[in-house]
Amino acid sequence: MAGIVVLSKVENGVPSRSTLELLGGAQRLAAGLQAPVGAALLGQGDATSLYGYGVEIVFRVDHPLLKEYQADLHLIALERIARAAEPQVFLMPGDSLGRDLAARLAFRLKAGVVTEVIDMDVEASGKIPRFTRQAYGGKASAVMVPKAFPVVVTLKPRTFDPAAPAGDKQGREVSVEAPLDPEQARTRLVERVLEETTGVKLEDARVVVSGGRGLGGPEGFDPLVELARILKGAVGASRAATDAGWVPSSMQVGQTGKTVSPDLYVAVGISGATQHVAGITGAKTIVAINTDPESSIFKAAHLGIVGDYKAILPPLIARCRELMGG
Amino acid sequence: MDFGLTQQQQLFQEMVREFAEKEVAPRAAEVDEEACFPAETVRMMGKLGLMGVTIPEAYGGAGADTICYAIAVEEISRACASTGVIMSINNSLVCDSIHTFGAEEQKRRLLIPLARGEKLGCYCLSEPDAGSDAANLQLTARAEGNHFLLNGVKNFITNGQEANIAIVFATVDRQLKHKGISAFLVEKGTPGFGVLKVEKKLGIRGTSCCQLLFENCRVPRENLLGGIGEGFNIAMASLDGGRIGIAAQAVGIARAAYEAALGYAKGRVQFGQPIASFQAIQFMLADMATTIDAARLLAYRAAILRDQGIQYGLEASMAKLYASEVAMCVTTKAIQIYGGYGYITDYPVQRYFRDAKVTEIYEGTSEIQRLVIAGHLVG
Amino acid sequence: MRIVVCLKQIIDPELPASQFRIDAESKRQQPNGHPLVVSPYDENALELALKLKEQTGGHVAVLSVGQSSAVSALRKGLAMGADEAALISDPALEGSDAFGIATALAQGIQKLGHADLVLCGCESGDWADRTVGPIVAETLKIPCVTFVARVERQDRGVRVQRVVEEGYEVWEVTPPVLLTILSDETNIPRYPKVKDIMAASRRPIPPWSVSDLGLDASSVGKAVKRIEIQELTVPTRESRCELLEGDAQEQVATLITRLRERKVI
Repeated sequence: MAGIVVLSKVENGVPSRSTLELLGGAQRLAAGLQAPVGAALLGQGDATSLYGYGVEIVFRVDHPLLKEYQADLHLIALERIARAAEPQVFLMPGDSLGRDLAARLAFRLKAGVVTEVIDMDVEASGKIPRFTRQAYGGKASAVMVPKAFPVVVTLKPRTFDPAAPAGDKQGREVSVEAPLDPEQARTRLVERVLEETTGVKLEDARVVVSGGRGLGGPEGFDPLVELARILKGAVGASRAATDAGWVPSSMQVGQTGKTVSPDLYVAVGISGATQHVAGITGAKTIVAINTDPESSIFKAAHLGIVGDYKAILPPLIARCRELMGG
Repeated sequence: MDFGLTQQQQLFQEMVREFAEKEVAPRAAEVDEEACFPAETVRMMGKLGLMGVTIPEAYGGAGADTICYAIAVEEISRACASTGVIMSINNSLVCDSIHTFGAEEQKRRLLIPLARGEKLGCYCLSEPDAGSDAANLQLTARAEGNHFLLNGVKNFITNGQEANIAIVFATVDRQLKHKGISAFLVEKGTPGFGVLKVEKKLGIRGTSCCQLLFENCRVPRENLLGGIGEGFNIAMASLDGGRIGIAAQAVGIARAAYEAALGYAKGRVQFGQPIASFQAIQFMLADMATTIDAARLLAYRAAILRDQGIQYGLEASMAKLYASEVAMCVTTKAIQIYGGYGYITDYPVQRYFRDAKVTEIYEGTSEIQRLVIAGHLVG
Repeated sequence: MRIVVCLKQIIDPELPASQFRIDAESKRQQPNGHPLVVSPYDENALELALKLKEQTGGHVAVLSVGQSSAVSALRKGLAMGADEAALISDPALEGSDAFGIATALAQGIQKLGHADLVLCGCESGDWADRTVGPIVAETLKIPCVTFVARVERQDRGVRVQRVVEEGYEVWEVTPPVLLTILSDETNIPRYPKVKDIMAASRRPIPPWSVSDLGLDASSVGKAVKRIEIQELTVPTRESRCELLEGDAQEQVATLITRLRERKVI
């Protein structure tokens, strides 16, 4: 088909949030390249909803071994789809799945790979897609172009707007055969441990209150939890705080953690390492509270308070409680 | 002639700098404000081998050269001057003295734990009435069988509260003047040895500066360092080495102030442009950078001479004199560049300024350095 | 257990943005004499390897592709406790993309002998592509688990903790395997001891050329790259932080006012 194929996931009959983001990106790219959009679907799941977002063809590998995620088996299936669909661009989410599979799929397809893309457009010729990503911890912005096709691309989560429905359209489904065998799986899942977060999900929160090394210990997070509760937000953490074991790693905000784009981001006792700042560039208002006026978090922040969080947070919590009635 | 560091020294510098930036600097403001001894940092430095940098591995040290020692003191002092002097004293005044003058048994028993950082040393020379005039010690040592009885008071002893082992200079006969001075290794817990007072200080507030009391303190004869009457030589020799350390400390403090001022000057906008674009500020920065470099080169020269086994007392005094005055001058200018922000405790430059002052005073005041230097010149 | 840890030397990523300059020709950051460091997660990987060796014995080698300056990254690896170090350095590698680098690394790993575990940082501190490790795994035809925080030795293999969005997964795998390592409280890099730094700096690390690895120079480098950096620019940032004045009460009052002006609360 020579177009764009989007690795898709359908949950309860609708595309997942990350699939919608990929489809949003794909629609823009498809318009520029004047190329069709296809979807790669593994396992069962109703593909119908995808057609409503501009997908013309669904390539599906349905096999019992694809029920649970396993990298080797998924990779074989995706390679089969890519060979059947022959897309120019194979889009994947830049999440734990993309980290595992994108580069390896590219290797097998002898394709190029561009990861963590935050913007896409098409060269004036109308033929070559261009992918923008951050580099050097957000200090630079790079535009990457493929020298050959196909190219495997992962999109940074929470960066592209989810696709808008493209109307009531029909598409067709192509079944792709993949000879899967349990012997091909070289890793075995023992367990999946969910770190329960109460309240709002970090990635979806309109307000995020994060803490770092400056909190001094796990108990330093207590007032942050309280502030987040009052503001109906979520609590995050810097890598320093998760590395120290103060809070679970699922709370990490930053390049190797979660990307957040809330209306309000409050960084408490966070030094502002590039790694962290790369995860909050989408925040509309950033407030930094830190004792060290020289710390780089103030370079990323809009509003800064030089001071000890132990002195600042109690009156802040009290004022917010009055305003929000929490 | 080569002004560059060897690959080994560069690697060493990178790693000490990383340690200093990640572990020492983040605690420096608190160490200063709370006047608390950085015990955890000192423990880590011991494990890494920074408490006995030039001592051979056989005696618990790291076996590095004196340039590495100067590099270490500079990098640690750039992060925290208190921590810098704690390690400097343990390295040069305490470990080096025992390594150079101690008996094999003393090295096995006392130097190894000191160089490994398992124990901390202090160096007790100054007294209430004998500061710069070190030959005029009042603290007496009287032989009694297999012991010496020490009686008297020591003043301004850095690490005095935390130290496990003190090198104590005492006179066996005041009539003999400097020829009567002898050095003793006094272990913490020896009856009659205690802290009389902990001073409150302007700078290097993370170190304890103590008045120590010796009251019929019984020191076994095997803890006599060197021979009777050899103490003055030991003191002078160890102070030569110590002065390289203080010169390096002063360079470290000055560099911290200069780097902060440079960063601030580039970011601070007045009259629509960064103040670093004004010549008045540029000239200050130029002088700061130049004198810091000169001070470091003087310290390195003394260190190289020491490693080559050549007399380096003159060069060590020159380095200490110059570097400490540079530190005072650079930290003063750094505050000036910061303006009002330099005078408030939110920013660290005022700490650098307070910490710098002591480098002109301890281990021989600037005036004593000039006397030493002049003595070499005019004989 | 024989472990190879891949180390990348990069310009200190915490360098202030004000000192960040781009080289228009190579479309990379200008080195300008800035400090060079081991890419952060690579150090976590090395720490993890050293801990495994301490627990169960074995051999740890560090391997790097880079310019001759990368010797200091490898020496740091030795000073931290690695047993062996190898540098792949060849002008033919310049301008390589992830595939070129991974080709060289994979050959280097084979030249070092058998490896049970190959560890890489989960992403580099400069470009953060997250691709070299998985491509090395493919080149060596071994399995790969990404974003691993912990590794535990088992009777027949290793059990690894893979960090995902909602928590973590535990996978079992029989070596050889490549793991990309994330930082964790259990793998905070140690500081090398002074005496080990001294010993490491005396160790010769002769560089391997592409032909030493049995590779054709035309199989790596610019000519075979699949992706080109068309532009590299520094985004302009107009926002300037407003520092709120006064004591804690006043600062909080101003903050609330500003947040309401901005309609975020």
